[in-house]
Amino acid sequence: MLSYRPGETVAHGLDPRAKLGFQAGFAVAALAAGSLRWLAAIYALAAVALAAARLSPVTVARDYRVVLAVLGVAPLLAGVALGPPWFRVDPALRSLFAVSRVPPVLAVSGAYVRTTPVRDTRAALQRTIPGRAGQLLGVGVGMVFRFFPLVVEDLRTARAALWARAGQRRPPWVQARVLAVRGLNRTMVRADRLTLALRARCFAWNPTLPALRYRARDYLVTAVGLALALAPVAAAAWRTLPAVSAVGRFIPIG
Amino acid sequence: MSQEYESVELVGDDAVRHFALAVLVAALTAALAQVSVPLPGSLPPFSLQPFGPFFAGLLLGPLWGGLALALYVLAGVAGAPVFSNGNAGLGYVLVGQGTGGFIVGFLAGAVVGGAIVHRRVRPRSLDDVRLVYQVGGLLATLAVVYAIGVPWLSWVTGLPLSRAATVMAPYVPLDVVKLLVAVGIVRGGYLTYRSTR
Repeated sequence: MLSYRPGETVAHGLDPRAKLGFQAGFAVAALAAGSLRWLAAIYALAAVALAAARLSPVTVARDYRVVLAVLGVAPLLAGVALGPPWFRVDPALRSLFAVSRVPPVLAVSGAYVRTTPVRDTRAALQRTIPGRAGQLLGVGVGMVFRFFPLVVEDLRTARAALWARAGQRRPPWVQARVLAVRGLNRTMVRADRLTLALRARCFAWNPTLPALRYRARDYLVTAVGLALALAPVAAAAWRTLPAVSAVGRFIPIG
Repeated sequence: MSQEYESVELVGDDAVRHFALAVLVAALTAALAQVSVPLPGSLPPFSLQPFGPFFAGLLLGPLWGGLALALYVLAGVAGAPVFSNGNAGLGYVLVGQGTGGFIVGFLAGAVVGGAIVHRRVRPRSLDDVRLVYQVGGLLATLAVVYAIGVPWLSWVTGLPLSRAATVMAPYVPLDVVKLLVAVGIVRGGYLTYRSTR
């Protein structure tokens, strides 16, 4: 799957806060797409983001293949009818247009994941979200990264042990209960150890964060993200302007 | 590195305990998304992921349970392969295969479920919580997950709302089974040990 790789690309050099802002703005603009021209512009911008991260669209498509396959079924589901003509084209096309907004959003978020180390995301969270909530979220995200592989391994070991005793012949809810209980037990033991370790190391509200620096290019990327987020509103206003002026022309005022 | 030298404000013991458990429940939710129980025939595998928000609300209450699920979502946004099939990224939460609403629903469901079970911010011992509140909290969690997930699926995929609800309907009985399993785990006392400490 897509994960961070060190590099020297333009995207690697950007501040994580600028990249997060761009991602959010891009998603808003992509999901607001209402015309093929707008959609084409979104795909072109996604291509620029991928180029900035030197990430191949084929790699992104391969990593999100399950997602794309599931999305591919949506237009078929939308078009199927329970009576003649059995398949209606209009709803299927509407669904096809809706799901075609998704790949560029996935591509841009893939570029973020590929070019941003978790400690930078953590620092971005702690610097962006004010107060203690930001501190806990930042530290917590770093810890989830560390504990996730261990807990997955705990569960897989429990499942392997269950199946080694012919557990797969038992009803699924019994298997689920056994796995959930084993997972919980291990989780609680790990939580107790983590509590002790945090207390022993004087876990404090004062963080030691990696340095982040907002440079001119970061402001530019942030501005593009903001413009993208506002683009749907601006487009809607642009569409209503002629109507307003027509009202002014045909309805005498005063 | 930016460091502070003037004063160090330690995190309180209670907060450390709840925070550590929230981190591990977030990791458990992520792990449960990767491990499933196969069902016979061509049925989809029996996913264990809903246990994540169930346990978050039951063990940690609305605030810390919400933090646990927020950590899960943010770790995925930051690039950890914590979503189903090892997916990650903000894009997956927002639009990926239309099921991002269920991820957001897990977060909201843990908060609502935790609020119903504990009826205060600080989690109480599950020994002191009547069964009706525990079951009500879990049912509310499930309801919130579907209330957010189904319209979100409809919006992303362009399916009519009724068609999206039909697509998700077969999963409801399976999730009710998971809810009953979670109730069994609570009544078996597996969570009481922890929540009284």
